[in-house]
Amino acid sequence: MREVGGTAVDQDGRATDEDGTAMDEEPDEATRMDVRDAAAIMREAGEHARLELTVNRPAIFMSWSLVYLLGYGLMWLSVRDQHPYTAPQGWAIALLVVLAAMALAVTAALTDRATSGVGGTSAMRRRVYWLSLAVGLIGVYIMQPMLSHAGASRDVIGVFSASSPLLIAGVVLVAGTAAWLNWYAFGLGVWLIAVAACSGFAGPVGVWAVIGLAVGVPFLAMGVVSLARGRR
Amino acid sequence: MSEDALDPVIHAPARLRLMVTLAALPDGDTLSFTRLQDMIRLTPGNLITHLRKLEGAGYVQTDKTGSGVNAVTSVALTRDGRTALDRYTTALRQLLDAVEPAGQQD
Repeated sequence: MREVGGTAVDQDGRATDEDGTAMDEEPDEATRMDVRDAAAIMREAGEHARLELTVNRPAIFMSWSLVYLLGYGLMWLSVRDQHPYTAPQGWAIALLVVLAAMALAVTAALTDRATSGVGGTSAMRRRVYWLSLAVGLIGVYIMQPMLSHAGASRDVIGVFSASSPLLIAGVVLVAGTAAWLNWYAFGLGVWLIAVAACSGFAGPVGVWAVIGLAVGVPFLAMGVVSLARGRR
Repeated sequence: MSEDALDPVIHAPARLRLMVTLAALPDGDTLSFTRLQDMIRLTPGNLITHLRKLEGAGYVQTDKTGSGVNAVTSVALTRDGRTALDRYTTALRQLLDAVEPAGQQD
């Protein structure tokens, strides 16, 4: 007796129950299948596999659109009346962190649901991708106090804290195209880099509104369009 | 052309579903036995039987890692398996063309 996939099997490879009795087997040779049946099975199985193995992107796009439209919007509201600029208020930062944590949880849950049990090259690429993003984000958050320590003004810190996470996300998406060959992700990455690079011109107050709209609206649109087309 | 042109190892409902499901993964990816069972909705016994037949033809490869309760069996389509499924699909399309007038296929 040995095990395959956690199931006990006998010497002939048949699955057995606790008593070692062989479980049922389908006499598939006796199951006749004409070419139309075969074509229908291929279509159904292909579609089922695609749905099961594809990450639900509309939900992910929409959850991140909330982070940018609502979270960045609240950050902008908390600083718009500051003359001179000091820093976003604690309640706005807390809400942005909560929204980002929720979006991250949604992303992780939906990705896990689609990729559960999938191993090999894709799993390794996914791990490297998430690790790159985490390392990049940790790097920019460590840099913020360093910049302050080096004498950077509050305005500079404000622009940096709003745009640098976006820059990291964009670079990781663009670099990830080398592995995934997903040109939509490449385009999104280029857009994020462009927004991160240019939004600073709006200053430490306007940068939150510019990024919130320039990233939140496209994310929302991608979510709605993907949903309308029934695509994952 | 007759149905004999269709690879008999693949031309069975459960094995055809297995092959198509595994072909949905990119090259180099594997699927765990339990996820595959969940997706195909076969009993463990049936799944093992069909996998053994496909493995015997060189169309799939199974690998077991770990031991005891931590044992995980992963299944992947081989290059020969992907080629065989492509051949099967081509033959099936030709047979469908022969039995259905042009424009009536969905």
